Amino acid sequence: MSVIKRVVFVSLVIVYLAGVSTSSGNQETTFVLKGARVHTVAGPPIDNATIVIENGKIAAVGQNVTIPAGVKIIDVTGKEIIPGLIDDHSHMGAYVPNDLNEMPQPIGPENRAIDALHMGTPDWNEAVKGGVTTIVTGPGSGERMGGQSVTIKTFGKDLEKRILKEAGELKMAINGINLSHIPTIHSNFLKAKEYLKKWEKYESGDKKEPPPPRDLAMEALAKALKGEEVVRVHIMWANDIMSFLKLKDEFGFELQFIHAPEAWKVADEIAKRNVPVICMPIELAINVPESLLRGIVTLHKAGVKLAMHSDHPVSPEKWFRINASMAIRYGLPKEAALKAVTINPAEMAKVADRVGSIEKGKDADLVVLDGPWYEATTPVDMVLVDGLLAYDRHQDEHMAEEEL
Amino acid sequence: MFRRRQFTRQLQAVGWVLPAVLSVAALLLALPILQAQDKPVIAIQGGTVLTMAGDAIEGGTVVLWQGKIAAVGKQVSIPDGAQIIDATGKYVMPGIVDAMTYYGIRPFALNDRAKPVTPENKVILAYYPFGKRMHGEKGIVKDQEILSGGVTTVYIAPGDQQVIGGQGAVVKTYGADYQAFTLREPAAIDMCIGDPPKQEPRYIGAKPPLTRMGIATLLRKALVGAQQYGQKLKDYDQKTDEEKEKASPPPRNLGMEAMIKLLNKDIPARIESDFVDDIRTAIRICDEFDIDLVIDSGLGAYKVKDILAEKKIPVVLGPPIHPFVQGGEVSMSPDLYREMDDYSAAKLLKAGVPVALASFGFSFGGFGYATSGRWLLLEAAYLTGFNVSDEEALKMITINAAQILGVDDRVGSLEKGKDADVIILDGYPLHIKTWVDQVFIDGENVYTRRGGAK
Repeated sequence: MSVIKRVVFVSLVIVYLAGVSTSSGNQETTFVLKGARVHTVAGPPIDNATIVIENGKIAAVGQNVTIPAGVKIIDVTGKEIIPGLIDDHSHMGAYVPNDLNEMPQPIGPENRAIDALHMGTPDWNEAVKGGVTTIVTGPGSGERMGGQSVTIKTFGKDLEKRILKEAGELKMAINGINLSHIPTIHSNFLKAKEYLKKWEKYESGDKKEPPPPRDLAMEALAKALKGEEVVRVHIMWANDIMSFLKLKDEFGFELQFIHAPEAWKVADEIAKRNVPVICMPIELAINVPESLLRGIVTLHKAGVKLAMHSDHPVSPEKWFRINASMAIRYGLPKEAALKAVTINPAEMAKVADRVGSIEKGKDADLVVLDGPWYEATTPVDMVLVDGLLAYDRHQDEHMAEEEL
Repeated sequence: MFRRRQFTRQLQAVGWVLPAVLSVAALLLALPILQAQDKPVIAIQGGTVLTMAGDAIEGGTVVLWQGKIAAVGKQVSIPDGAQIIDATGKYVMPGIVDAMTYYGIRPFALNDRAKPVTPENKVILAYYPFGKRMHGEKGIVKDQEILSGGVTTVYIAPGDQQVIGGQGAVVKTYGADYQAFTLREPAAIDMCIGDPPKQEPRYIGAKPPLTRMGIATLLRKALVGAQQYGQKLKDYDQKTDEEKEKASPPPRNLGMEAMIKLLNKDIPARIESDFVDDIRTAIRICDEFDIDLVIDSGLGAYKVKDILAEKKIPVVLGPPIHPFVQGGEVSMSPDLYREMDDYSAAKLLKAGVPVALASFGFSFGGFGYATSGRWLLLEAAYLTGFNVSDEEALKMITINAAQILGVDDRVGSLEKGKDADVIILDGYPLHIKTWVDQVFIDGENVYTRRGGAK
């Protein structure tokens, strides 16, 4: 792209933003999206709805909303609006592939993905184009305990404000090819239990004795034992799932499964323990069997909370939405599929107070689509993140034409 | 010289009536002064003096006495018997301060690669000021290569192949003995966040760090260790004498003793990082443990200039003509091109970030990628083409560098009371045809360009 075209694009975006804003400064904008079919996720879809956005938050949503006087109204009649998509398991922004895994060191729950986060990669932009506004990006699956993930928005001026959660979600991985995997995790949780006991004894005592030595790894695991952090485990086979459920029974930590292509085989056991599953129906790169795609419906029927994931770069973040579409193709109800890419992942990442649905007070992360949200043919028209225009298809197409 | 005059006046006041006892005492008192006269009084006259602490002085005089600057200005009385150096038409400025070098250390002795964290290592122990090994003369050498660039003070550091390399030092490029040339030791603890400390990934036997996450974890662990060691020392100190007799003091740990200096903010952490994301990691960790930070190399630092300015974190930039970056040349890690910006220094300065320019250079026969500090003036000159004013460019290699190194009470500008580290140039310092004619360190002439000064 020539420099001039770049400049033209940037200035167009600026003009657009200036059009959107009524007062000076982008964050202080109040504007209205009017006429679309809005999937709030918090309730049934609202036809011909109005969304009022104020200071990057949703101020009101509904059919009979009084529009403040003098604000800019964007007509989106005939379009569909869904909340910004949330991908609960991604490796986007990892510096280079080998920055993901402290391999072969097996235990590193103290590692933090944020320290390897690469904000300069164009992947962030691509994710926005696909309507993905929040991701949980974390360490790889090379270690038994890989480390802590970061929950971050894909767009925004100020990096500090983009980060929803700096470190959380202890990533673990079981590959089922080695007898040592479960015992390694088991013995470390036992150690962490001892560590936690020592600290609790110190905290409840008179504190005259010196405190027990601080161990960053055990500290992270102790958080999981206390219920402050979630344990997320990369898992494949049904027997491994059963082993991990037994660990959960023993230690009582909060557990979420990632990938879990065989989770449907033990769906009832998972549902009984309220363990959500983060699955990926379009594992094109891994060539998954039909049984997995049908298995998602089995899990849903058993009452398991579901979320989709892209596992970027395994499947591109940009096409995250198609995961939900594929689940619909195999029988998942549309509402459940939408929840699996919005509010469910938000709740599982514990950021549902800010994102995941279109409700008053939540961040104005919205995706405007030109047609039914789940259709593969439907393009993303516009993406708003914190009330700021992050993507506009017409500008993009204009650029593409120029380039041709 | 001035003190001697006063002393004479006192003698006159007392008169010659007093017995010989007093004169013997006076002789004894005068002894140190007589000894100090080993270094002659030097007055550099007639040149344009760039003090780095105010406006340039046309036709000014700088008086060097007892290794210190005794006077700077236009109307300065020159003491009797002073050696006069005519600098008419020339420029006089403080010696160049190179805020980051591997000077005087053999390249393969820069890192203890077997271990990723070695805060106990001291670079001053590897520093070799005796010139060519197995050859040469007795005593400390006046290295003509680095002196020819007017460099009088350098920061010497361990290499970047470890997460925590060890303790750096500020030394002069010449001194009569170790004590004389050591300005500050330790001056900082050198660390690196980025690709250099990462080990080769292997399935069996690879040790951390293999990733950026691993680097951050090792840093955190070292700092947590230091916090705990410090607490143990404190606990022991608070005990009564009786209790102390019963309990044994915590065993000494050289590395942790050094790290405690960081936590006490006696010295800063100098973290070499080029990618802006790594710089953010450095800031995040230093915030977490409340320690002072200096960013080294900092190719992408201008992207977080406002954060750096707000937190008053200085940046020591690498040379722009031949950029020193992690792992050597930029072309060796092409990803770094996206962080490069010729206007980087100007942007940082405008935002209010303290900036120094350093060579990251080797000398004494090292085969470095980087340029020698010898050309630091030219590197600064190059920056003036990119929105840096002449004054700022010169300050980046003198007073700014001295401030960042914490030695600005001794060097970095021509002010009364500071060390007499002065250079005379035969033209405007930032011009390509300008040569350093003479270099004085602690008032002693250590370099004279052949065919230069007359």
